[in-house]
Amino acid sequence: MVVCSGCSCLCPDIVVGDRIYHACRKGSAIFRYADENRLKPTVDGKEVDVDTALEKAGEMIANSKKFAIYGLDTIPLEAQEQAIELAEKKNGFIDDNSSFCLGDFVEMILKNELPSTTLDDVKDYAYVIFYWGTDPYHSLSRHLSLYTYYPRGKKRQRGYEEDRFLVIADIRESDTSKLAKKNARYIKVEDDISLVNSFIQVLDGKIPEYMDVSRVITEMKKSDFNVIFGGLGLKYGLDGRYDVFKVMVSRLNEVTNVYFLPAGFHSNMRGFNELMFEKTGHINKYSFEYGESRDEFEFKSLIRGSNVDTVLVIGSDPLNSLPFDVALGLRKVNLIVVDPKRSLTSTIADVTIPSAVTSVEQGGTMVRSDGARIRIEPLKDVEWTDERVLKRLKELV
Amino acid sequence: MQITPMEVYKLLPKTNCKKCGEQTCMSFAFKLINREKNLEDCTPIFEEKKYSSQLQDLQKLLEPLKSATETGLIVEEDLCSGCANCVVVCPVHASDDPKGMGSGFGATIDDPILRIEDGVVKVINMKKCRRYGKNRILCVACRENCPSSAIRFLEG
Repeated sequence: MVVCSGCSCLCPDIVVGDRIYHACRKGSAIFRYADENRLKPTVDGKEVDVDTALEKAGEMIANSKKFAIYGLDTIPLEAQEQAIELAEKKNGFIDDNSSFCLGDFVEMILKNELPSTTLDDVKDYAYVIFYWGTDPYHSLSRHLSLYTYYPRGKKRQRGYEEDRFLVIADIRESDTSKLAKKNARYIKVEDDISLVNSFIQVLDGKIPEYMDVSRVITEMKKSDFNVIFGGLGLKYGLDGRYDVFKVMVSRLNEVTNVYFLPAGFHSNMRGFNELMFEKTGHINKYSFEYGESRDEFEFKSLIRGSNVDTVLVIGSDPLNSLPFDVALGLRKVNLIVVDPKRSLTSTIADVTIPSAVTSVEQGGTMVRSDGARIRIEPLKDVEWTDERVLKRLKELV
Repeated sequence: MQITPMEVYKLLPKTNCKKCGEQTCMSFAFKLINREKNLEDCTPIFEEKKYSSQLQDLQKLLEPLKSATETGLIVEEDLCSGCANCVVVCPVHASDDPKGMGSGFGATIDDPILRIEDGVVKVINMKKCRRYGKNRILCVACRENCPSSAIRFLEG
């Protein structure tokens, strides 16, 4: 059995043989196509050996005045530690996808501003399962079947039909919302703040804007364990106004127990956030030079403002995923890409260094979306893992 | 399109000639869908020319029967993303493998009804399904919980 590192579910029960068993489409592709489309070590587009590429990258980082590291969400904690130390050594910037992903919610949980729980407890005890602004069928395929709605747990032996209540709040009907049939509710949200206010209105005894909310609260009161899974829809719907959401959760906790978990991000995003939080007190967009975290230290702002001269991208493909002007800006900086696979970013990089595919060729510790630390044992060992590459770069700088 | 006995009956000769061994064309339609009878048992529809267009429609309608399993289950692998909802909800899986599939994990028994292989759902052992055999019940738990309609049954 291997742990899949495809998403933040970190499914622990994958069997790899002549076929890949139990992994979803996304997860099975990691194992099946691990050997395809591999990145070769290059300097200025010419193929070289790994040591030369590493030395060149080390030289570029050593000569840089404003250095940034970006990516980091798909590599193990041990490698992330090395990356943070490298950024610290160069007094540089460090950022990952969480700055525009669900980092804000992770920060609130780490600061104990929102009550949180673990997915194992959700499986055993949760009654109302509330997905807010997320479509887990697509983003975290096995979330519903492995951890939340469908499995039978200690106190939830009778399965989804009687022992769970599913609520989906989304702006449009998604594939997940089709599952809201018996013992379930689908709330079509126009404005997330109004939905938050509806909860407070029901608790105040007023008539809510969204009528379904009163039924949801009645169901929540039936059990002492309910969970809200917040996705990107909730984050962008609230648009920074997290205080009303926190008030809503604490008001709900006066009448019943409601926990919050973020749903839907990269495999080890929370791990990076936790490491940074332990070390600096901030979770992302951090500058070691200024010793603080600001919006202008976010990776896309750094590139837009031309505030960096050398960028190390590891375990991410910003050219593919970030806006066009950021992608254009990446052309102007010295770009080092560390990745097991060829990506769009690697095609414009000055130096590319191949590394290993997590859970196939490299192991380590990863942090699941609920904060559980999962140990990953690789199927085989290779010479250059992310950790070793970053360690070597740190030595060279 | 759903294959219901009524749809099949509409395309049969409706003469109740009993040549197939059934009392009525309607009961033949039922047995055709349950695959207890073959379309070839209805001799008039092949022999008489006036039924030729009906025969074509009927053959087209019954085409999915060939790819369906014994219980009428059709899996469209292109639509499946391997969420394993069907594997976990199955009541047979829950009773046979409570610590594995019943608790959300992958199968720990060798002959589950459905299993996720290479990221899509595959039918392994249809004989365990509650819809199989003489004393079947029309359970649709796997279809009801498939968000992408990758699983469907002949009757719709």
